[in-house]
Amino acid sequence: MNKLNSKISTQDCFIEVVSDDVIITNNCNEIKHQVSENKGCIYLDIRVSESKIIPRITFKIKREDFISIQLKLTLLNGAKLEILDESEYMHGTKMEFITELGKRSSFELYRLNIFNELTENSYLHQCRLSKDCVFKDFNFTNGSKLMKNETEVSLADENAKYIGSGVVITNSTNCDNSLKINHISPSAISDCSFKTVSRGNANVTFNGKVIVRENCNNSVSSQISKGLIMDENANVNLIPELEISNDDVVCSHGAASGKPDENVLFYLTSRGISRKEAEKVYIQGFLGEFVDKIDNAQMKAKAKQFISQNS
Amino acid sequence: MLNISKLEVSVEENKILKGLDLSIGSGEVHAIMGPNGSGKSTIAHTLAGNPNYTVDSGNVLFKEKDLLNLDPSERSLEGLFLAFQYPIELPGVSNASYLKQIVNVHRKYKGEDPIDASEFLKILKEKSSNLNIPIDMHSRFVNTGFSGGEKKKNEVLQMDLLNPNLVIMDETDSGLDVDALRQTSGAVNQLRSSNRSFIIITHYLRLLEYIEPNFVHVFQDGKIIDSGGKELANKIDTEGYAT
Repeated sequence: MNKLNSKISTQDCFIEVVSDDVIITNNCNEIKHQVSENKGCIYLDIRVSESKIIPRITFKIKREDFISIQLKLTLLNGAKLEILDESEYMHGTKMEFITELGKRSSFELYRLNIFNELTENSYLHQCRLSKDCVFKDFNFTNGSKLMKNETEVSLADENAKYIGSGVVITNSTNCDNSLKINHISPSAISDCSFKTVSRGNANVTFNGKVIVRENCNNSVSSQISKGLIMDENANVNLIPELEISNDDVVCSHGAASGKPDENVLFYLTSRGISRKEAEKVYIQGFLGEFVDKIDNAQMKAKAKQFISQNS
Repeated sequence: MLNISKLEVSVEENKILKGLDLSIGSGEVHAIMGPNGSGKSTIAHTLAGNPNYTVDSGNVLFKEKDLLNLDPSERSLEGLFLAFQYPIELPGVSNASYLKQIVNVHRKYKGEDPIDASEFLKILKEKSSNLNIPIDMHSRFVNTGFSGGEKKKNEVLQMDLLNPNLVIMDETDSGLDVDALRQTSGAVNQLRSSNRSFIIITHYLRLLEYIEPNFVHVFQDGKIIDSGGKELANKIDTEGYAT
């Protein structure tokens, strides 16, 4: 480890939205922000500069009604940021994030959210990645009555890297998930995975689109989507789409859905685990492979806990 | 311990067991030998409650209870253990957390508190050492990427942790090299006691040279056609099943 790296540490910043107030505590110097509010819509404009610390923003949404949040996030060249949203949204949400990532910047976004199953929620994230920057995007949700998750990523310069993963565990939802990756520069990398566990009458759709433009030599793109159908009336639709306009690329995709393997469930029950618990272990295994993609130990533990509590 | 009477079992409408009778007393070791496709594994899976096997008729008493009325997890909790011929892989679940979970399920059934993490680790280290299992194997996913020998050792380890009354070993010797066979057999022999019985399903004499059976049964065409002592296994080893 060199001297510079050895000095890197994290510093937490908490953004709490309570009633009509937005409270920001422990704010570190590297984060500049503006907050304004208009008829229940909260605007956050956050700029992060390069520093030797890794700021972490933790959202704690405690508002007792429908909430609309617009976040404009700018990471300047070399800046680093982690965002953790562990909020429980009980009254419906509309979220719009616009992210600009500067050269050599690093952004990690962890959304581990519980939604009220009776509400309607939408999430739109548009992000643009510059040269040599990395965006790790992990979303975990229990779903809701109506849910729309949409992420659009533009890999706009060389060696920009997007690692994105989504998990939906649900039993009462119409959940549309869309991930669009646009390789508009050569030598960029995208690595996307989506897993869902569909129960009851749930209907989960994942549309994963990867576009590699003509000029994008040396692009690397991987997309995996998997669905586990736990009940007779549950449904999973996985729709991978690839538009590759360049031959000098490495692109792969895979999609699979189905019921649990009865041989595995028998093995577990033969050890004394009840059928219900065996299904839970099966789900944790199905999603556990995926959690291993998270290399941040603290966030990995939180993701495992989320899966354990919701499977 | 176990009393099987006139058991008939089908798989997808094919009759596999055609009237099996077998009684096993406490502390006894019974070996079942037979050619490929004779239905040996069907005995194992039927006793463990695999839903792919349909019991057409007959009855099975295990510790004076009607075994066929219990679901697979209840059979395990009552003290029946099947060491699988082909142990199942479970990606995404670490072996250590799985082993701890099955130990705790059995403790809960007995009205005991969950095992303390440090106590479990101590027991796991001790029992793994007996089987020459490296402790870091338990941080890997259950049976995923394990060699054939590692999978079989993991089965014997689970048996050791769960302390069952009746153990069914379904070709546990297949896939084991000489050293692994010796270690696995040694661990099984240590578990022999007056209140624990074994059914050992095997093709070969070599396992029975390490684990001495009280009775040997020859199984063919869905039923036991001959029974005797270890000398019967020696005879099969030299003459084969055809004679």
